[in-house]
Amino acid sequence: MIDPAFLPFAAVLERLASFNPEIVDEAAGVRSYIHTCEIEMPVELDVVRGDDGALQIGSAPPLYYVDTTFRPSFHRVRFIVETPQHSDGD
Amino acid sequence: MATENTAWQLEDFVDSLVVELDKTRETLAVKSINKALSYSVKEVALDLNIFPNYDGDQVTFITAQPGQQGASKVSIQLGSITDQQVRATSKVPGAKNEIRLNQIDVDKKTRKELRKLGVNSAEDLKELERKNVDIAKVSDNSIDYRKLASQIEKTRRSQNPPKVDAAVLSMDQSQSPYLLIRGQNLATDPRFEPVAVINDKLAEVLFCDENEMRIRITDDHNFSANNEVVLTVDPFAVLRMNVKA
Repeated sequence: MIDPAFLPFAAVLERLASFNPEIVDEAAGVRSYIHTCEIEMPVELDVVRGDDGALQIGSAPPLYYVDTTFRPSFHRVRFIVETPQHSDGD
Repeated sequence: MATENTAWQLEDFVDSLVVELDKTRETLAVKSINKALSYSVKEVALDLNIFPNYDGDQVTFITAQPGQQGASKVSIQLGSITDQQVRATSKVPGAKNEIRLNQIDVDKKTRKELRKLGVNSAEDLKELERKNVDIAKVSDNSIDYRKLASQIEKTRRSQNPPKVDAAVLSMDQSQSPYLLIRGQNLATDPRFEPVAVINDKLAEVLFCDENEMRIRITDDHNFSANNEVVLTVDPFAVLRMNVKA
């Protein structure tokens, strides 16, 4: 089982992609939207083999900001999401 | 802190990563039904700090854990591709009766050599044969094709074993007795002529196909109340039965 402090990788990706795509300034009468979002960040990984034999990838963003002598091993993830309308126009 | 990381093969890791990515795509696809403006995943890339290990046969990796230094780096990039690209670059998934390489009883060395050549099933091997590729030559004679073909036939036969439903004593037009065997997958290999032995004496096979066999009975066979009948329908299927008259 994945360490409880870690989330399945899919859950991390879903959370990274769940932001409000619209930026609205009613006073100025401006409505903008984010068509592409690229996130690159360090992650900790917990890779274990489940009962079904498949690998389970647990991941967590850096949890502590304190510089310690015992450093976590930070892997790196880059994640790009875009609106389908934007990708159609590519 | 995470528990001890497991050693993994790249194929396993990428499989799991793809599963995770598919889950994310599905969630986002559902979300897009209710929200006009939503996102789809264009790319996911992972730079992993790993410790590789080669045991002489395969390479495995262990993901670096807190406090571990001197790790190597592996970068994995998963981009979105269209269904057309999938069709162009992937093989159609195996048919129900396809024989996978791991089902064939071959030695480890041959299996490894075949994998290196991209052969994962009997169908892949057939495709190479169709294209006139001499597999012995490309593998520096480490693969004995004849032995391999025989193992494939054996595996194929074990998946479709012969089955006898009935054995009936009958007479032909000239009133000569014959034994009629009915069943399934009986004589499936046209290159091989079935051999029948009744009570330790060779018998003439008058007719054979997948569902029926007719075997002539003569006085030499001493056909009595209990008779042992042995049918070799091909090199991998031998039937032994007791026929009561």
